[in-house]
Amino acid sequence: MKRLLASLAMGLVLTTGAYAAGFESRAATPAPALKAHDMSGVPKTLADYRGKVVVLNFWASWCPPCLREMPSMERLRVKMKGQPLEIVALASAEGPDDVKAFLSKMQLGFPILLDADGSNTKRWKVFALPTTFLLDAKGRVRYVLTGPVEWDEGEALRIIESMLAESPVKPK
Amino acid sequence: MHFYRFLILILAVAATSARAELPDYQAFPAQGTQLLLWVSSERGRAEPEMEAAQKLAAQGVEVWALDPLSAYFLPQLPRSMDAIPQQEMADWLRSALAGGKRVSVLAVSRAAVPVLRAAALLEPAQRRRIGVVLMYPNLYTVAEPLAVPDYLDLGSLKGLRVRILQPRRSAATPWLAGLVDHLKVYGATVEPVILENLREGYWVRETPTEFEIAEGRRMDGLLLRELKALGQK
Repeated sequence: MKRLLASLAMGLVLTTGAYAAGFESRAATPAPALKAHDMSGVPKTLADYRGKVVVLNFWASWCPPCLREMPSMERLRVKMKGQPLEIVALASAEGPDDVKAFLSKMQLGFPILLDADGSNTKRWKVFALPTTFLLDAKGRVRYVLTGPVEWDEGEALRIIESMLAESPVKPK
Repeated sequence: MHFYRFLILILAVAATSARAELPDYQAFPAQGTQLLLWVSSERGRAEPEMEAAQKLAAQGVEVWALDPLSAYFLPQLPRSMDAIPQQEMADWLRSALAGGKRVSVLAVSRAAVPVLRAAALLEPAQRRRIGVVLMYPNLYTVAEPLAVPDYLDLGSLKGLRVRILQPRRSAATPWLAGLVDHLKVYGATVEPVILENLREGYWVRETPTEFEIAEGRRMDGLLLRELKALGQK
């Protein structure tokens, strides 16, 4: 009985801890390099998004939580139109065929990048999907989130709005 | 007469005590020379696993199926696996070896931790007799974004033959090489195998693909191939 109670208590502690995680703030950490290609084969790096707040999302087409949060990212894009915000979704260790098949079912207005060999996934030390990094306009990592979220509401929206407010680039 | 009754009572108590040192497992007896110890993940024992165990037994491979978190009344969380008593797991492996059959162990996800730590407690000669199949093993102590991963200490695995079955569609796949290196540091012989078009726990997914359903039904075949590759079949 003691063992059972101890187990339940341990489970409660661990479960509470897991839910409390949410967005993890970072002290303006320099971002690792991003070297990827878009769906047309054009090379992309973080320099392409410099001066903007960047939502860099690591995902995969086989990952149900990743796909669940995608529509909210699209709604965020629409809601923030004209703001210096870029949403970038990087397909982790996945080839173009699977990604194209997914995109034929879900229309997204933000760029999708390919990381077919997983090199970006390793450089950014991503161990679970989805994992999302919020970068400030200077290209520094400010927040990290492991797991899905509704991006156009709640804590996610508040954080993004606060980062936009400190952005040196004025909204159009 | 009283003496014999007393002797039987003592033997019964001793036998019960001995069994109490081993985790509670489900046996699928078979007449063949193979014994597979199937250690379920933190998600518990799933129906397709039991079906595969029955099919293996029908093909002559005896299976002992262990749901470690259930056996030790632990929460269904990956880290709970780290609390499984290593000595009792090692005794379980020894009792399997004592039967004289060729013994293999399948550990799913974080169940790799108690299995490998138990293997490290065996005598080197015992360890060499066991083949281990790790299905998408999770051996991290720390795996946080932007941080170098850190793995658990396992103890000596010298002489242990390990095959890692890694589904391609897994966030862990890019990290497979590091995991293999970690096991080699402890002396294991490691052979990774990529399972194409599959996800972790493909036999219990909420929304499985047709391929995952089919592969879930063919798990016995996969494991027979793995036993052969380990030299256990």
